[in-house]
Amino acid sequence: MMKVNEFMTTNIESIDHKRSVYFAVERMVNRRIRSLLVRFPGKELEYGVITARDVVFKVLAKGMDPTKINVSKIASKPIVFIDQNADFKEVAKIMDESNIARVFVCDQERIIGLVALMDVMSATIIARARGEYVS
Amino acid sequence: MFLEKVFSKGKKENNVIGDIKKQINLLCTACGFFKSALETDNPSLMRQVMDIERAGDTIRRDIISRIYEGAFLPYLRPDLCKFVEIVDSIFDLLEDTGYRYLDLKLPEQLRGECIQVAFLNRRICEMLLITFESMLKGEDLREKILAIRIYEKKIDDIKFELIRDARKIEITNFWEGEILSQFLSCLTSISDVIEDASDHLQVIHVSMK
Amino acid sequence: MWKVISGIFLGWSLGANDSANIFGTGVTTGIVKYRTAILLTAIFVLIGSIIEGPKCMRIVSDLSRLVPIEAFLCALAAAITMTILTYFAIPASTSQAIIGAIIGAGILSGSADFSKLIKIVACWILTPIGGMIFGYLLYHSLKFIFDKTIPSLTYRNTIYGVGIIVAGCYGAYSLGANNVANVTGIYVGSGLLSCQMAAFIGGLSIASGTLTYGKKVMITVGKGIAPLDPFTALVTILAEALTLHLFTQIGVPVSSSQAIVGAVVGVGIVGGLRTINPKMLVKIAVGWLITPFAAGLMTILFIYLTHFAEGLKTILFIYFPPA
Repeated sequence: MMKVNEFMTTNIESIDHKRSVYFAVERMVNRRIRSLLVRFPGKELEYGVITARDVVFKVLAKGMDPTKINVSKIASKPIVFIDQNADFKEVAKIMDESNIARVFVCDQERIIGLVALMDVMSATIIARARGEYVS
Repeated sequence: MFLEKVFSKGKKENNVIGDIKKQINLLCTACGFFKSALETDNPSLMRQVMDIERAGDTIRRDIISRIYEGAFLPYLRPDLCKFVEIVDSIFDLLEDTGYRYLDLKLPEQLRGECIQVAFLNRRICEMLLITFESMLKGEDLREKILAIRIYEKKIDDIKFELIRDARKIEITNFWEGEILSQFLSCLTSISDVIEDASDHLQVIHVSMK
Repeated sequence: MWKVISGIFLGWSLGANDSANIFGTGVTTGIVKYRTAILLTAIFVLIGSIIEGPKCMRIVSDLSRLVPIEAFLCALAAAITMTILTYFAIPASTSQAIIGAIIGAGILSGSADFSKLIKIVACWILTPIGGMIFGYLLYHSLKFIFDKTIPSLTYRNTIYGVGIIVAGCYGAYSLGANNVANVTGIYVGSGLLSCQMAAFIGGLSIASGTLTYGKKVMITVGKGIAPLDPFTALVTILAEALTLHLFTQIGVPVSSSQAIVGAVVGVGIVGGLRTINPKMLVKIAVGWLITPFAAGLMTILFIYLTHFAEGLKTILFIYFPPA
C-alpha cells in the first residue's frame, strides 16, 4: 500500500498564534487553501490547526469581528498527525474516527506534510490502478 | 506470406511490444536517475540521463522500422508509431530539463518541490507502463488513466507553488532567471506529455475493440 | 462453340468488377497485398464455381427456352449493358443484366417463365436485406465473442488480419458458386454445354477477369465501400459471403455488390446510421430498374437485327443465287 509521504502536500502554510482570525482568512483566500497550521511556542507536534470551518462556525456565523479575535482562541490543538511511513488506510481510519479531513505528516518531531481527504481518495485510486489495492 | 503470418502467432508483434515495454521501462529508469541527481545534486548522474535518452532513441528507431516492416495491421501502425514518438518526446523533454539543470544553480528553497515533481514524474511513468500492459491485455483503461490524471493534477498544484516560490528569489542576471524558468517549466510539463501518451493508448484500445 | 465467347466476355467483366468487393477492403487497408488478393480470389472463385456453381444454373436455364444463337446474344447484351452502366458508375449487377436479357429473348419467343422471374426478383430485393441482417448480427455476435475470448491486442491483431483473408477466400468461393450461373447458365439451357462444363468455363472466365483487371479499380471500389477499421471490414466481407452462399442454396444468382452494400448498412445501424450514404442507396435502386430493362431491350434489338440479317441473306440468296 502506498505510504503517506508519497502523496502528501509538502507546502504547508502556517501563521503565528497571535495573529488575528482576519489575517488567517486573508491567507486562506490568497492561497486558495482551507486550513492553516498555527504555530504555538513549543514543540512542532503541539501546534494547532485552523480551518475554514472553525472560522465560519466559531467567528463569522456568530457575528463576531474577525479582526479582534486571535487564531489561538479558535484553533484546534494539538494537531492530529501520523508518521510518514504510515499507509493511506491508516490515515483514512484516523480521519474517520476523529471526523476530520486533514492529517499532518511527521518525520519524528518535525511536521513535513499534510494529507487531505482528497489526497486519500486520489492515493487509493492510484493504488487500485497499480494493482496494489486489497480490500 | 499469409501462412507465415498464421504460424508465427504474432512474433513480429510481440517483438515490437517487447521493445515498447523496454522503451517505457527505460523512461522510468531515466526519471529515477533524474530524481536521484536532483536529490544529491550530482552532475554525473544527470549526464547519465542524457545517455539513457540516446539509448531510448535507438529503441524508438528499431520499433518504428519493425512496425513498418510489417508488424501489426496497417490500420494500427500510425497510432502505435504516434505513441512511440510521444514516449520519445518525453525522453527529449527530460534531457532538456537535465541540460537546464546542469546550467544552473538550483536555489535550495526550490529543491524540495523539484524533487517531489521528479519523484511523481517517475511514478507517472510507471503508471504509463501499467496502462500499456493493461491495454495489451484488452482491459479497461479508465482507472489507469484516471490515476495518471491525478498525478498530473498533483504536479500541476506543485507547479503553482513552485512558481510562487520562484518569484521570491532574487535574480541578478537575465540568463540565470531565464534558465531557471525554463528548467521549472520543462520539469513540470513532462507529466502533460505522459498524459497525452496515455490518452493515445486509449485511442488504440478503442480502435481495436 | 464460338457462341460461348460472349459468356466468357460477360464472365470476364463480372470478375473484373465484383472481385473488388471481396478483397477491396483488405487491399486498401494494406492487410493483403494486391497480388495475393487477386490470386486468392481467382483460385477460390474457380473452386466455388466448380463445387456449387451448378446449383444456380437451373433457374437461369429454365427461365426461357433459348436456341444457342439467342444465348449468345443474351450474354452479349448483358455484357454490353454492364460495361455501359459500369462506365456511368452505377453499381450494376450481372445477375440483373442477364436475367433481363433472357426475359427479353423469352418474350420474343413466347417462352418466358414469369413465375420463376418472381422468385428471382424477390431474391434480388432480399439480397441487400440479407446482407444487412447478417451484417448486424455478425457485428454483435462477433464483438461479443471477441470481447470474451480474445482481449489481447496482439491476438486480436492476428485474428483480424487472418480473418479478413479467410473471409475473403470464403467470399470469393461464394461469388463463384453464386454468380457463375449468370455467365454460362444460359448455355446449359440451350443445350450447348453440360452443367459441369459450364461451371468450369464460367469459373475460369471470372477468374481471368479478376487476374487481369487493374489495381486502381480495386482500390477505388474498396475505398468506396470500406469502413476502414479492420473489425468492420471483417464483418462486412463475412456478411457478404454468407448472403451469397445463402442464395446459392436457394438457387438464385444475386448481386455481390448489393450484398456488401447491405452489409455496410447493417453495420452502419450499429454505428448510428452514419456510414449509410443515401446517394448510394438511390444509385442501387436506379441500377435495379435500369439494368434488367436495358439488357432486355438490347437483347430484343439484337435478335431483331439477327432476324433482319437472316432475312437479308435469304433475299440476297434468292435474287443473287450463287453461281
